[in-house]
Formats: sequence, structure tokens, C-alpha cells
Amino acid sequence: MTPLLRFEGLGKDWFGVPAVRDLSLDIPEGQVIGVIGENGAGKSTLMNMIGGIVPPTHGRMLWRGQPYAPQGAADAKAAGIAFIHQELNLFTNLSVAENLFIDGFPRRPGLLRGLIDRRAMRDRAARILARLALDIPPDRTLDSLSPGERQLVEIARALHRDAALIIFDEPTTSLTHRETERLFQAIEGLRAEGRTVIYISHILQDVRRLADRVAVLRDGRLVGEGTIAEFDIPRMIRTMIGRDLAAVYPPRTSVPREVPVLEVQGLSAPGVIENVSFTVREGEILGLFGLMGSGRSETARILMGLDPAERGEARLRGQPLTGGPRDRVRQGLAFVTENRREEGLMMDASIRDNLTLPAIERFRGGLGLDRDRIADVAQDLRETVRLKAQDLGRQPVRALSGGNQQKVVIGKWLPTEPRLFILDEPTRGVDVGARSEIYGIADRLAAEGAGLLVISSELDELMGLCDRIVVMSRGEVVATFDRRDFEERRIIAAAFREATSAGEAA
Amino acid sequence: MTGRSTFLSALGAATVAVAMGTGAQAATICFAFQDLETEFWVAGHKAITTTLADAGHTVIERNANEDANRQLEQVNDCIAQGVDGIIIIPQDGESAVTIVQTAQDNDVPIAVFNRPPSDTSKGIVVVADNATIAEQAVDFVAQKAMEEITDRPIQPLIIVGDLGDPNAVGRKDGFYAALAKYGDKFAEPIEVASEWDAATALANLEAALTANPNVDMIFTSSDFLFPTIRSVLEPRGMWKPRGEDGHVLLAGLDGDATACKLIKDGLVDATGVQDLYFEAQSAMDAILASIDAGEAQPNQVIEDPGFALTADNLGEREMDMWGCVLLSEGFLNN
Amino acid sequence: MTAMLSPAPTAPAPRRPARRPLARALLSDWFVLWLSLAYFVVLLPFLPTLGTPANLVNLLSNAWPLLVVALGQTFVMTIGGIDLSQGAVIGLTSTVAAALIATAGAPEVLSKAPIWGLLIGETGGVLAGRIWFGILAMLIAGALVGLVNGALVAWLEMPPFMVTLVSLITVSAFAIWLTQSENIRNLPDGFVALGKGEIVSVYFGPKDTSQIPRRQVHDLVTYAAIIAVALAVALHWLLERTAFGRQVTAVGANRKASEIAGVPVRRVIVLVFVLSALCATVGSILYSARLEAGRPTLGEGTFLLDVIGATVIGGTSLFGGKGKVIWTVFGVMFFVLLSNTLNLMNLSTFHIDMVKGGVILAAALLDVARTRLLRSMA
Repeated sequence: MTPLLRFEGLGKDWFGVPAVRDLSLDIPEGQVIGVIGENGAGKSTLMNMIGGIVPPTHGRMLWRGQPYAPQGAADAKAAGIAFIHQELNLFTNLSVAENLFIDGFPRRPGLLRGLIDRRAMRDRAARILARLALDIPPDRTLDSLSPGERQLVEIARALHRDAALIIFDEPTTSLTHRETERLFQAIEGLRAEGRTVIYISHILQDVRRLADRVAVLRDGRLVGEGTIAEFDIPRMIRTMIGRDLAAVYPPRTSVPREVPVLEVQGLSAPGVIENVSFTVREGEILGLFGLMGSGRSETARILMGLDPAERGEARLRGQPLTGGPRDRVRQGLAFVTENRREEGLMMDASIRDNLTLPAIERFRGGLGLDRDRIADVAQDLRETVRLKAQDLGRQPVRALSGGNQQKVVIGKWLPTEPRLFILDEPTRGVDVGARSEIYGIADRLAAEGAGLLVISSELDELMGLCDRIVVMSRGEVVATFDRRDFEERRIIAAAFREATSAGEAA
Repeated sequence: MTGRSTFLSALGAATVAVAMGTGAQAATICFAFQDLETEFWVAGHKAITTTLADAGHTVIERNANEDANRQLEQVNDCIAQGVDGIIIIPQDGESAVTIVQTAQDNDVPIAVFNRPPSDTSKGIVVVADNATIAEQAVDFVAQKAMEEITDRPIQPLIIVGDLGDPNAVGRKDGFYAALAKYGDKFAEPIEVASEWDAATALANLEAALTANPNVDMIFTSSDFLFPTIRSVLEPRGMWKPRGEDGHVLLAGLDGDATACKLIKDGLVDATGVQDLYFEAQSAMDAILASIDAGEAQPNQVIEDPGFALTADNLGEREMDMWGCVLLSEGFLNN
Repeated sequence: MTAMLSPAPTAPAPRRPARRPLARALLSDWFVLWLSLAYFVVLLPFLPTLGTPANLVNLLSNAWPLLVVALGQTFVMTIGGIDLSQGAVIGLTSTVAAALIATAGAPEVLSKAPIWGLLIGETGGVLAGRIWFGILAMLIAGALVGLVNGALVAWLEMPPFMVTLVSLITVSAFAIWLTQSENIRNLPDGFVALGKGEIVSVYFGPKDTSQIPRRQVHDLVTYAAIIAVALAVALHWLLERTAFGRQVTAVGANRKASEIAGVPVRRVIVLVFVLSALCATVGSILYSARLEAGRPTLGEGTFLLDVIGATVIGGTSLFGGKGKVIWTVFGVMFFVLLSNTLNLMNLSTFHIDMVKGGVILAAALLDVARTRLLRSMA
């Protein structure tokens, strides 16, 4: 049987530098293909070639056995290929139905051809939504929908166009757990209808669950390909990064000391958190685990002085934390927020400007800033956090991969010599290689005596990294686990507030 | 400094190119005006540009959009361009002094049109003589009144402008000068303050006419108040054309299009006119004379005696009044 | 990994390497300078007056006060704001200074003004002739307006456009009320010299070709030039070489991230608005001195268009986070050159303003293009 899409020796050079080389692969019809690889492995270039955005410099593509050389996005669309991106191409001010039919509204018959047939549009939209088990009225405007529902609307649009191949590029990054679940059901529904899906993700568990086949890219080459049965997660990682899994969570190189850094006592903000108490010791990595809405990120924001607390207090090295973020940074707090684009980085500013912002007042020299020292410090930070960048003074942060951006967000705090780091989702949207390096940085910070409070929705990550895990549920601390007691089932049970017989009660 | 001298000779050549054809009979005149917001200034602008162009001179126009600083910059640009003379309608009397001084420092003759600098001793200053103009208009209606009313003292009324404005003061003086000639044939004039504001004029005129319903003639210090006067007179049956019962003798000053129309309709009897065409001609003549004489800082005050456009001389002098010219071009139809 | 490898499907991908040198020129700090020089050279044969010493001196003398005001606007735009009240500050401070330091007052003009007899009488202002006190008073008045603007933007988080629009309206109305729209003359000579006085003049010899022999003395170095250049150098240093300056850029690039990073965001915003008002005040000194009068209506009308236009043409981003003093210097140069050449072409005012508007639009588009280019090249 002819594959739906075939790559034959496909390659793309950028000014002589290959981004994809000699790639040959078959995409069989009616299957879900997981495409994985670190940032820069060539996934995006490959997808852009399929989408007609960039022409290949070598080789060719075959669509249902016929040569396929799209000249633009319109050609790909006409062939029956739909893309679903992290950043959606929807009109938030229009209704669901209007979004579905935006490139061809149903018309009224006869003399009224100039008018949109609203009833037909609504009915057809409702039928498409029903296929996705999407229970939203077609008249709702997009801005009233959650990110997950919007994603499903985007899929509905692909269905409406009768796309044969639907390509998902990191679709779950902005979705909640339940929305992700619904998305997966929708993707399984697509497969059941005989459609083909290419699914790109960093979250290997998801690929493992959805995909029939896996293709692994590294440095622009196809380095592994096969059925999902052949690829367990350790093998995926091994193939992606070219080394062993054990390296992802580097061993802890130090033990926590007895001296407390951060003492949180009875911290409350009505409706958000209730009577939260815990302690972070010097050299300790404390994990904060909970479901969405459990109050974990909110606790971090209150500690940082971004949101108010009504009762309770937090002490850093014995001194009560007061004032806004500026005062707390001076007292020794550092905060890596969960979304680095909005709250962590100046995307168009240089890497150096980003790295030196929090401590900028420390670089005062004789006449203005000591720019040599700034350059030196930025250079040192590049080494410390193993930043892969060309020119610190010129390259904007936007040009870095997610992992390297995250290293900038962490690295920029180091010159302020913080005593307590708060890391909220430190590896979101970060590939496996950079992830491992970020864990290494966390370990070194702890070894140097700082306390770390790591918030994550990935329990694996906390179990691999932390000395202790505090579990929150509905705004309260419900359990604390020491490293030797880490057990996935019990921690999750605590997060769901099932019988908390295990662990020490908080 | 050979480099500089080559540079300079190139410049000299350039200047020759600019100066080509600018004999005494064809000069390049920079005309910098403050804006064209009201019909009076539109008429003034037109009077100057057509007068200059008709005489074969090149006009470089600069509109400052009511920004005195921009006008100064524009005049500086004109000077750099090597114009032969400058005519300005300044934004106000204060900036006019500075601009005149700038031009004279650069040896370019300058004339100030219609809105006098606060210091009139520098530059060619063409200014309307408000007192004389007012006197002519008032004199005409006074004569008419004396023909009609012989049995009792005539009751005059004057609507005065903002007395902080020298124009308003001059017009008031002209009014009294005209009546002084006729002694006790006229009763003590009633003074109505307007502060150059239509609403104020309306209220005060209402009050004055209620107290003295037997007013025989009214002089308004500016034509723009005619519509206001109409709204007060009409309900009292005093807004009638000449010859009908109840006609009140009306005189104004400025010579705008409305006044022209009202005179033609017989509702208004006279208006004092600033003779913009005379002023434009005088400014041009004075500038050209000083260019010919090689005089770079001419100082001269030219007073425009103006004239009164009346019901009697409407036929001959109509087209000397800027308001009638605008009217004939369909100004009020817009 | 570079962003080039992962554009969204709609983003144009750079296909021709030949665009690189052009792109580099477009992204250079000096782009607007090259543009100005090219424009100058191209027009020189057609506008012979353009290169004359008299015209060049005019260009410079028009540029200095505009530059001073635009420098303040540059800082405000760098934090992602806009200051519409600069013109009103110019009018207010011009009036205040003149009322205080005039050496005589004209009762027939000013006797109805609320300040008559209070600040100024027939013998002049209460600080008659004491220039430095007058300037101090101007700076205080200007700083107060900036303080109110900044405080409203920083603490009440009101949009700068609204806040400064309200200041524009109220401050200029207040200035006009002070003198009942009259101008105040009789400024002390020392004050006037700040706007007009020359320090170094050049004599080019008599011009023989004109019908009237003219003096050819050109003021090359004026007090205005020294004030503007000194201020530009100082503010360049402030923006590029101090912690405060880096924090200004950071607030504009990402206010939230700056706050979390310990930048005193509110203090930075307030100081930037104060700085903007102070620059307007210095501009007011130069403009008032040049016109030899205090004018409540100074800086009204399309003046703001010139300031914002020159700043944006220089390359300072309307979206914040990107601004350089040197860009604004070049932007002002280009803008003044543009106005001058349009004047020399003897275009009508309507055309001049239309062309100016078009050029500002082109500059805004250029800003968008540069941002895109920067992202695609990264």
C-alpha cells in the first residue's frame, strides 16, 4: 500500500548549514506518528517543508505516490494537510461557527447569494462539533472558551476541511490535565476515522500513549524509527540525546543542612491558600506538588510579594519577608516564574541585558555602569548555566531555544546571590537534554547552600530532583514526603486528597 | 582655505541662479501668514498673493498654523533662500517684534500686514486706522439720522469691543469723534459691552433695548455681531429694510461678506472697511521701494484710512470691499 | 537552534541571502543618519539653497530645541508610554518664567490677567531680571506636571495616553488662564541670549549677487547648541551607562518581568515622566528666548507631531523596550531636514503636512519591518 506521505532523501540547508539531511521516511495512512527530538533536531524545518513554507534543497516528497512540491501554505491546505500549532490561528472575537467557515461561508440560495446562510452554518458546525464530542454552542465566541476548547475548535476546522493529514505541534503546552485528556480522545477519534496524524511533543508519555509509530530526529537526521512497542521511554530518550537515561536526573551531590532558609508559618489568603506552613533548609530542594488550582503557584506569588497574604508570615534566614518583589529580591529571594515569556524575559533584548537585569544595581562603577564587569559576569554565567548562544551582547533571547531561554531566566538570578530560589515549572517546554542540565544547575545551587522550592506538575521531575515533597490540595498543605518515602501512587493520592494514611500529616 | 573658497563660489553660482530675473520689477517676496481660519484672513491672504502675482513677482508662501515659533523658523528659511523682501501676518504683536528684528538683522526688508507689532517703530507696518474708519461709517448713518429726525435728539447706541484690544478702543474713539461734530442733535450714546463675545453682546443688548426702546441708530464695533443684533431687533419689529417703518439705522466695521449682503438687502446702512487691497498694495510698494533704494531696514508706518461702504456708494465701491468680493465668489453659499 | 528554523507558517522565511547587507543597514544604529545624508545629497542639485551656510545654520538652530524636547519623549517611549503633555508644559513654563523675570509689564495687555499685581506689575515680575531663579521656577513647574503624570501612570496604572492627554488639556488651559492668553514681553537680555546668543560666528564675506549687500555672519555655536548637545550627551549616558537607564529599557521591554526582577518599576516610571517634562521645560527656555516672550500657547498645535514624529523616525519603538538617544538625534536631524527641504521646494502648507504625515507613517512601518527582520534573523 502506498504511504500517504513519503520523504525521499529530503534535506534542507540554511546558508550551507544543514537543518535536515538525507531523511527518508514513510507516513502510513490512518496511523498516529510521534515525531520527537530535541530543539534544533530539525522537526520544525521538516514540518515547514511539508507545509510549503520552506522548499527542500535536496530530495523530494511524495503525496499518495505523486510528487508533492508545495509552493506555499495554500498548496498544503489544498492537498489536505492541516496544522495545529501551539499558538492558534483563530479569531477570538468571532463565534465558533464563524471560525470554522472563515475561508468559505455557506451562502443563501438564489437571489440572496450575497448573504451568509447562518442557519446552515450553525447546523453544519454543530455536526462537526458533535463528532469531536465537543459540547459547546456554535454561537459562542472564541474568547469565552478555554485554551483546550479552542484547540478542539482548531481540530474541528481541520475536520471541516476534510484534512487527510493533521499535524499537531506541541499541542498540550497550554492545556490543563482534563483538556489534554479530551484532546487525546479527539486524536484517537481522528485515527478511528482513518485520518493520519503527526504528533510532535516533548512529553514522551503522551507520545507513548498516542502514537502507533515513532520517528526520532537528532541533528537533522532520522536516528530511529519504529512501532511504539519498540520504543519505551528510556529508549526514546536514549535515541534523542544519544546517551543514557540515567543522566537526565543527575545524582544529588550534597545533603541538606539543618539551618532553615525559608520558614513559612500559617500563610493564608482567603480563597487562594489556607494556613500554609513549611520550611526549606539550606542546601535543600523542596518540591511543591499539587494539581492545577491547588495553590502551589499562588503560594510562590505570595512569597514573592506579587499577591497579598492576609495572615501568617514567611521568614527568610530569620528575617520576615515584607514589601514588594524589589524588597524581597534584596532580602535574597529569586523567582523563576512558570511562563518565561510573559514574566521572565525581555524577549527582544540581548541575552546579556537579560542576564544582568536583577543585579544591575550591583554593577555601578566609577562613572556609570562597569561594562567590562557586566560582560565578564555575563560570560561567567554562560559557562555556569551552559548556555548555548553565539553573541551575548547582540543575540536577542527570542532567538534561543526554550531550554536555553530557561537557563537565562535561572542564570539571571545568580549575581544577586539569592538564598532561596523559587522555580515554578522550571522545565516546561524544555527538551530532554536541557532539562537534565537545568537539574544539574539546581543541584549545584543547593550544594552551594541555597534553598530551592521547586513547583512542578510533573511528579517524575520532583521525585528525581527533590529531597522532600510537600503536597498541596485545595489551597492547603496535605502531606509531606521525605525522599526515602517517595512513592508515586501515594503522592498522587495525597494530591487528590484520598485517604492520607501515608506520609506524615502536615 | 581653498576648500572653503571653492565651496563658496559654488554657493555664489547657486545664488545667481536664484536671483535670476529678479530685477527691480520682479522680486521674490516671502509671504508668511499665521493661518487661514477666518474669512478676514482668507481675504487678506488673497489680496496679498494676487497683488504680488499680478505685478509679476514671485511669492513664496509660508503658513505657520498659528505657531509663532514655526513662523520664526519659516522666516529664517526664507532669509536663507535669499528672498528680496518679506511680508508677514504675524500670530501676535509680540512675536512680530522678534521676527521683524530677525529680518532686519539679516538685512532683508520686512513689512507687517494689518496686525501691528507691539513696537511699531521697526519695519514697514501697514495698519488700519480704526478711528478714522469708524468715524466714516458712523458719519454716514449720523447724517441719515439727522435727515429723518429733526424734532428730537437722536438716540445712538454703540456696541463696544474688548477694551483691552487697541482696535476696539480706536473704533470707540472714532464713533465719539463722529458724533461730537453735531453737538446736541444727538443724545448721550448708550454703551453696550460685548467683550468681543456674541453671547455677552446678546445679553447686554437685550437689556439696553428693554430699558431704552427708542434707539434710532446702532453702531457695532465689529460686523461679526450683526447676526446677534438681528436676533435682538427682529422680535421687536426693528429689523426692517430701509424705507420701511421701524428701520433702525445700522453701521458696523470690518466689511465682511455678511455685512455686504445686509447692506445690499437694505438692512444695514454702512460699514467701515479695512481696505485690504490698499494695504496689500502699500505693503508691496513699500517693500519694492526699499529694495530699489537698497535699504535693508526700512521703518515706516502706513495707515490705511479705509472707507465706509454705504447704501449710497454701494454701486461704485462694492468691489473694493473684501467681504463683497468673497460674497460675489459665493462665500456665503458654502 | 535558531528561530529561522521554526517560523509560524504565515511568517515569511528569508529565502535570498542577498537581503543580508540591506538588512544589516536597516538594523544599524546609523541607518537614519545615512538616510538623511543620502536625502541631502540627492536633493542638493535641485535645491541650491539647501547647502548654503545660512540654510545649514537654520537647520541647526531649528534642530536644537526640538532635539531637547524629543530626548524626553524618547525616554517615555522607551518605557512603552507616550507624553502628550510636553507641549502644554512648554506653554506653562514659558508663561511662568516670563511672569517672574520680565523687566517690565504692559498694563494695557496684562491688567486683566489673574497674575497681574501678584507676580508681575508695571515694574516687571517679582524676580525681575533674576534669570536663574526664573529658570529654577520653570524647572519646578515642569517637574510637578511630570510628577503628576508619572504618579497617575505608575500607581493608578492608567494608560499614559489618557493621563497625558488630560494634562495637555488642563495644563494648557491653566497657562492661558494665567495671562488671559496674552504674551509677556520684556524678557531680560541674558535670558534671550540663551535662545539667540551666539558664541562662535562665521563670516563668509559679502554676497555680491543679491540686490542688497547682506551681512553674512552665521551663528555657528549658540547657547542653544551647547545646551542641546550637553543634554543629549548626558541623557545618552543616563540611558546606556547607568543602572537607571537599563531599568528604563527593561520596564519598557517587559514590565512584569522587571517587577519580578526587583526593578523599582513605579519609581522608574515616575522619574521618566519627570524627565520628559524637564526636557520640555528646557525646550521651553530655548523657544521662549528665541521669541523673546513668554507665551501660554507655545508648543500648541502640530508641535507634538514634530516631537513624536522625530522620535519615531529615529527608531525608538512605540511599543517600548527599544530607544536610544543617538537614534533620536538622527531622527530630529532627518525631520528638520525634511521640513526645511519641503519649505525650500515652496510647497503649500497642506502638502507639507501631508508629506510629513506620510514620512511618519513610513517610519512606523520601518519600525515594524525592523522588528520582524530582527526576529527572523535571530
